[in-house]
Amino acid sequence: MTIIADNETRPLRIDIPAPERRHSIEAQGLRKEFPGGIVAVAGIDLDIHESEIFGFLGPNGAGKTTTLRMLTTLLRPTAGRATVAGFDLYRQTHDIRRSIGVALQEAGLDMMSTGRELLELQAQLFGIGRPQAKDRATELLELLGLVDAADRQIKTYSGGMKRRLDLASALVHGPRLLFLDEPTEGLDPASRQAVWHEISRLNRQFGVTVFLTTHYLEEADHLADRLAIIDQGRIVAEGTPTSLKASIGSGVVTVATKRDRLEDAGRVLGELEGLTELRVDEMGLTLFVNDGNGVVANVVRMLDSAGIPVGSVAVSQPTLDEVFLRATGSRLEGAGPEGGKQQ
Amino acid sequence: MMELTLDQGATALAPWSGLREAVRSTILLGWREVRTAFRTPAYLLPNLIVPVFFYFVMVGSLDTFAGGFGIDNWEAFQLPLAILFAVQGGSAGLNMVADIESGYFDKLLVTPTNRLSILVGALSADFLRIMVQATLVLVVAIAVGLDFATGLPGALTLILLSSAWGLSYSGIGFAIALKTGNAQATQSMWVLFMPLLFLTTAFAPKEALSGWLETAAMFNPMTYLLDGMRSLSLYGWDAGDLAGAVLAVVGLGSVTLTLAFLALRSRIR
Repeated sequence: MTIIADNETRPLRIDIPAPERRHSIEAQGLRKEFPGGIVAVAGIDLDIHESEIFGFLGPNGAGKTTTLRMLTTLLRPTAGRATVAGFDLYRQTHDIRRSIGVALQEAGLDMMSTGRELLELQAQLFGIGRPQAKDRATELLELLGLVDAADRQIKTYSGGMKRRLDLASALVHGPRLLFLDEPTEGLDPASRQAVWHEISRLNRQFGVTVFLTTHYLEEADHLADRLAIIDQGRIVAEGTPTSLKASIGSGVVTVATKRDRLEDAGRVLGELEGLTELRVDEMGLTLFVNDGNGVVANVVRMLDSAGIPVGSVAVSQPTLDEVFLRATGSRLEGAGPEGGKQQ
Repeated sequence: MMELTLDQGATALAPWSGLREAVRSTILLGWREVRTAFRTPAYLLPNLIVPVFFYFVMVGSLDTFAGGFGIDNWEAFQLPLAILFAVQGGSAGLNMVADIESGYFDKLLVTPTNRLSILVGALSADFLRIMVQATLVLVVAIAVGLDFATGLPGALTLILLSSAWGLSYSGIGFAIALKTGNAQATQSMWVLFMPLLFLTTAFAPKEALSGWLETAAMFNPMTYLLDGMRSLSLYGWDAGDLAGAVLAVVGLGSVTLTLAFLALRSRIR
């Protein structure tokens, strides 16, 4: 139990009950259906442990933000049960709000306030006394490199500054569980690296549990201890990035050929020894195999024998993009230079 | 960027009672609204200037007709109308729409702040703005020679009465803001004011109205508010007129503020 001093003479004590918190977030059958029968989240299970960074990866519209909004008490689930920071999602919403920090996708900030005013107000709304709120705001502004802009209205801030301020506002009360909705969306690479660094540090140094939604594969791969892939409201794969990649074999072979011969090539390569799965899309053929380097010669020979021209053959280690492809049958939006980095 | 530290001491939360927490949050959020109002003079200034301008135009242009209605003190007759222009012309709910659109409203909802504090804080700030605007019109009118029938106590009563009406009217704006989250819809509230205003004794005393207009005025709560306000400015203390005005305010306020709180409830989960 933590103690702080409200003033010099009177200590204040947390009165949050201290339930068993082995699981930071636990959910069963969590479902959200909007009017008109639109199912945004189709019943998912989550088991997120204390002090881990959990990535929630999926394309836009997959149900990531809806899930986050349910877990942060902003949306009432249609069905299912969950505990967040040890508190029941339906009956202990007030306790949940006191225990979590949230940075939403829109970087919801009051544009007419200054950065300092926003942080001071946010701290006070969490029950922190005014002098301490001032100190806390100053500390966070210094540490997030916003001192020079502290007394300027937020509407003058750049996108990166707004994100940093939003992150600071989620931290004013020192939460043990942090929800970040697309924390680096729209940021330049340098600002993205800076935010990643702070998230990692919060987790490593202070044991803060992080629930992070993203559609950037690289972000999920870089940050998450474990991740779940969500598509059309359902979790289609879950595990550590390493185990997920290992689950599709030790190699991925990508074959390019003429577009009108793709089907023929697929039929021929379906007979390849060591093949665990084959996908055909407009980008070419993706072969999940046990030994990537070992099958290249066979791939070229088989296509050549069938009279199918070979544009290129590339071998790579599996990435989360291939995990996503295998789990959903399509590639993740945004994969490419930002996301589907070949390793 | 410098590295972030997380002082575990800041985790502590003050063990406030629910009521104390709600009052403190209301004051904090109300103050934010006041600060925002001062930083957006484009919203504030027209509501200060237009009613004063309107007062001078009405007094100057129609003074000669006043005798025909049997009104000796035309300035005191017109004052309540100018004040109503001031208290109803505001931008109630627009800041809330801005918060909803920017996502800041959600930011407030994920704090342990009492939900009602968000609306009550905004309403309190709006009430303060309305009172300042009503007072300004009254002060200007007195400064240019208005003879106010019930003196300072009457003037204060007039300010309170009209401000309470203005707050009740703002309730419509907040209800629309919270229900729709749409700035255009919220601004259209002004349209409601016009028919309410014209179907009253706003421009002529009751005796001068006839036919359907008289009937419409009879059912319009604003008629009773104007009667109460004019009794203070023009004739003197009249318990009957004042009671009618208070009932009109309470009636409108009960409906609009209930709608606003229901709209809040529907928005917060």
